[in-house]
Amino acid sequence: MTRNVWITAAVISFAGAAFAQEHVATLRSGTPLADNAEPPAIAKVVNSDLRQVRNYPEQPPLIPHKIDGYQIDLNANQCMQCHSRTAVEVSQAPMISITHFMSRDNQFLASVTPRRYFCNQCHVVQVEARALVENGFVDIDSVLEYVEQNQGSSD
Amino acid sequence: MPNLSRRDVIKAQAVAAAAAAAGLPIPAAAQNLVTDAQLTDLKWSKAPCRFCGTGCSIMVATKAGRVVASHGDAEAEVNRGLNCVKGYFLSKIMYGQDRLTQPLLRKKDGVFHKDGAFEPVSWDEAFDIMAEKWKATLKEKGPKGIGMFGSGQWTVWEGYAASKLMKAGFRSNNIDPNARHCMASAVVGFMRTFGIDEPMGCYDDFENADAFVLWGSNMAEMHPILWTRIADRRFGHPHVQVAVLSTFTHRSFDLADIPAIFEPQTDLAILNYIANYIIENDAVNKDFVAKHVNFKKGAQDIGYGLRPENPLQQAAANPDSGKSDPITFEEFAEFVKPYTLDKAHEMSGVPKEALEKIAKLYADPDTKVMSLWTMGVNQHTRGVWVNNMIYNLHLLTGKISTPGNSPFSLTGQPSACGTAREVGTFSHRLPADMVVNNPEHRKKAEKIWKLPEGGVPDWVGAHAVKQNRDLKDGNINCYWVQVNNNMQAAPNMMEEGLPGYRNPDNFIVVSDAYPTVTAEAADLILPAAMWVEKEGAYGNAERRTQFWHQLVDAPGESKSDLWQLVEFSKRFTTDEVWPAELLDANPDYKGKTLYEVLYANGKVDSYPLDQTSDDYANHEAEDFGFYIQKGLFEEYAEFGRGKAHDLAPFDTYHEVRGLRWPVVDGKETKWRFKEGSDPYVTAGSDFEFYGHKDGKAIIFALPFEPAPEQPDDEYPFWLATGRVLEHWHSGSMTQRVPELHKAIPDALVYMHPDDAEAMGVRRGSSVKVESRRGHILSRVETRGRNKPPKGLIFVPWFDARQLINKVTLDATDPLSKQTDFKKCAVKVVPVGA
Amino acid sequence: MFGFLRKLWGTIRRPSVHYSLGGLTMGGFIMGVIFWGGFNTALELTNTETFCTGCHEMRDNVFAELKTTIHYSNRSGVRATCPDCHVPHEWTPKIARKMQASKEVWGKIFGTINTREKFLERRLDLAQHEWARLKANDSLECRNCHSAESMDITRQSPRAADFHERLLFTGEKTCIDCHKGIAHELPNMKEAMLEGSVVLSSAQAAASDDLHDYLNQHAQP
Repeated sequence: MTRNVWITAAVISFAGAAFAQEHVATLRSGTPLADNAEPPAIAKVVNSDLRQVRNYPEQPPLIPHKIDGYQIDLNANQCMQCHSRTAVEVSQAPMISITHFMSRDNQFLASVTPRRYFCNQCHVVQVEARALVENGFVDIDSVLEYVEQNQGSSD
Repeated sequence: MPNLSRRDVIKAQAVAAAAAAAGLPIPAAAQNLVTDAQLTDLKWSKAPCRFCGTGCSIMVATKAGRVVASHGDAEAEVNRGLNCVKGYFLSKIMYGQDRLTQPLLRKKDGVFHKDGAFEPVSWDEAFDIMAEKWKATLKEKGPKGIGMFGSGQWTVWEGYAASKLMKAGFRSNNIDPNARHCMASAVVGFMRTFGIDEPMGCYDDFENADAFVLWGSNMAEMHPILWTRIADRRFGHPHVQVAVLSTFTHRSFDLADIPAIFEPQTDLAILNYIANYIIENDAVNKDFVAKHVNFKKGAQDIGYGLRPENPLQQAAANPDSGKSDPITFEEFAEFVKPYTLDKAHEMSGVPKEALEKIAKLYADPDTKVMSLWTMGVNQHTRGVWVNNMIYNLHLLTGKISTPGNSPFSLTGQPSACGTAREVGTFSHRLPADMVVNNPEHRKKAEKIWKLPEGGVPDWVGAHAVKQNRDLKDGNINCYWVQVNNNMQAAPNMMEEGLPGYRNPDNFIVVSDAYPTVTAEAADLILPAAMWVEKEGAYGNAERRTQFWHQLVDAPGESKSDLWQLVEFSKRFTTDEVWPAELLDANPDYKGKTLYEVLYANGKVDSYPLDQTSDDYANHEAEDFGFYIQKGLFEEYAEFGRGKAHDLAPFDTYHEVRGLRWPVVDGKETKWRFKEGSDPYVTAGSDFEFYGHKDGKAIIFALPFEPAPEQPDDEYPFWLATGRVLEHWHSGSMTQRVPELHKAIPDALVYMHPDDAEAMGVRRGSSVKVESRRGHILSRVETRGRNKPPKGLIFVPWFDARQLINKVTLDATDPLSKQTDFKKCAVKVVPVGA
Repeated sequence: MFGFLRKLWGTIRRPSVHYSLGGLTMGGFIMGVIFWGGFNTALELTNTETFCTGCHEMRDNVFAELKTTIHYSNRSGVRATCPDCHVPHEWTPKIARKMQASKEVWGKIFGTINTREKFLERRLDLAQHEWARLKANDSLECRNCHSAESMDITRQSPRAADFHERLLFTGEKTCIDCHKGIAHELPNMKEAMLEGSVVLSSAQAAASDDLHDYLNQHAQP
């Protein structure tokens, strides 16, 4: 009970602070515009090899490991040394999805389409940094659960 | 309206779903699959991407009033199912937890105070104080005392409504878009060479070219989907070559057959060398040149767009001069003759082999060349010249307006073309390439806008950089910023932008979805609906106009920029803002509100509500009681129809994946100025550059001139600023998507490892980047994606915590007034150590 | 010319008139030591990064590339220099390699790779030589620092550990099979495959950094 009161009080005081404030630019965390905050240290790249849940099935998966020095150029594509169709038996890495074999005309090619050659246009690593602002996106499962419980019309 | 009640249900659901979801665990583990079609069916709708000028089409899934997924539109010609990483995360851009949901006003003791803290107010209170300030300024200083700064991210009708409100309502041409920072040099380049704006070619050129030459552009990061089309062409057809020219090595070099790093500003010398090479090697397409080209010599020593009292500006012989005199081909050949291979190599530092290889691409009659450029060329104190000089190469060789032969000016913003350029939201422009200082053009605008004669002012208003100077000097006192983050984006923030916004004489209003750096510098913040929270239209770089519907509701009380503009117009009557003479001569207009004159004018309000879609909401139409977007669009389209800017009927665009104007008889135009593909070309002329009266394009003789500020002993580095793939512009949307933030959380100072070593710093060292104008604190990166040569550093500008525009110089191209964000002199000082 | 040589030969084979046999033997020995030492010292001089990067072909191409990699810059500052990877540490193979290297001097004199373009054209050849050498000696120069016995795979990322356990420890692969391009940029790998120096299905471990993380931890006091 006491704990709840404290939480309520904390929420109210936070909301109060939010109601009249000088520094609203959330991303600057209160540093006045004319000042310069100490820059954060260069963060480490997450290298856990643990795959993350996608926000939706169409989202390109994030890269769960370091890619320092991986060459993707006219000469070589080092990502494909583990993720190509033929490499996965040895590498046990996820194979690139079948969409990566489709040409501009939606035909499947014998090999990876060059449109998708530069992997890091869609796939990115994640560093050990905290989000500057929370994001309120909710995935379809949460929305469905709500709709199911409420039997409302779906749209 | 049965529509509304159903929508209310959806809205209630959405709010509850969001709230519920915050506390809901993600359904994990063993659970039966949901297979009920009523539940699993998603509503998929098309929308163009919110970010760059490529104009990818996106499919957006909604459920219960929420965006739940998005992906690249497989049916769209632009991107055929692909997105870049930013595009794939579009679903999350609207859900940052700090969305603005109500107006915020700086107050002390319950009333507005310039130094007060932000407090929530009602829309009524917000518009009251705004109108009060606007009226006082208009009374005191007239129309020149107010200003507006918009965006190439406005929808077409938002830009149109804003332009109309300012130019026809308040009778002030002090309206400019942030496209001034982005595309202005391209525009003036087009107008000078062709007399008509925007590319002659289209994206189909990517599948037809034999060679691609990137002039200062990093398409791999900035236009990733167009880069996929180049990669597709290059890898799929081994004869294809890619040349990449830049002042530092970046990701586009990964596909470069011919890489070339040049000393900043020497692109001018390289371009003249190539023109010289073409002439000396007898590669001029003489027939084409004789029939379709004129030669002119442009004025030289034209200054740097700095404040008039700046010594550099005073030293210029022909400040701001765009004059030119006719010359012959022989005189042109003589003009470029000094730009030999040796000279170009010496000035630029590019190996001779590379220079010759690039020249040969242009010179070889059997190689179809596509030149591509964006900010490297446009953000340049001689940006207009560089645009002209790239066209020179294509015109000398006749490599233009045919598939694969294409000088292609890429755009930065999603509607820099559609809204800023075509609608003409610049301080000197009117729709369809018309300008305010041409009496004929004003007359036409007044007729379409149903204004009295003399309604549109004849003076060129303040451009972006001048607006900030005018704010600082107290010449503009009321200022409204929409859909952009100009405190972060504009140059020289510490000397111009910030003192301007915080000038006690000024009242600054910022409309945005998020509390940006610019919002913090404002006095009143208005919460804006964004992207698919409103019905919209964008025009991309290949003249493709694309529409989308409102797919979800905006949070809280936020409203679209269109709604804000139109609602604000209701607060003014003509008697308050128009001069007595104008009203006396046209008594019909007396006592009317600007809303009645501009929007409820019998044209804009002529499409009833029942013409809006049954399947989608439309908050502005519902509020105003008519289909306002359609009314604005159809009135706007009058300007261009029959004038080579033809747009299709409004409803068509909701059905198709965009159309490239001019759309004549329902058919879009892929290559302009070429007989057979452009209906405006006179039969039998083969090519016709009809922007100029004689149907000819112009080749300009222009020299190399140095940059205004160059590295010296005290400030030994060139500073180039720019973007990164994962963030869009100032990062106000993408930094709120955790995956994008964690991909690249901070701006870094990209520098050569030897430069770092020489000053005793290393990767990760904390440094101060300082110019004569200001400084930031950042960290050194020597191993990142950008690899500058010695003597140059690159700092991206997306990071709200590291505002690199505190450091940049507000020098502009004197003709386009576009800032050079790629060149100024800085020092890098270790911090702490 | 021929006459001069005959005269010289005559002088050399004629017994000494002025010096004792002991003195001559001793002198020969001392000179031998000096020459031998000088030879080795000179050899060692050529075995430093300063020597290697003394010519611009090395400095501007391969050395510049090395600088951005883990073998140059890493947490503990333990780094590889050119000869660590490219010159055997044992005497006989070292001399053999040095004799091979005289070809590089030849290349330097005649400007075989004196421009970036020429270097890029030859990159595949150059890389293939090194790959073949390392393949033949079971990645000896890698193993001089990276001993399989000393690898604690629990300190590696899961995928690195898995690769090493399945492929390295079993002897199925040697280091260079997977770690091509670890210190310099790769040549055109399509051409390399066509020429058979790279096998398509070889899984190239992506784990170089983890390896070094471990070693660096190990190296710290």
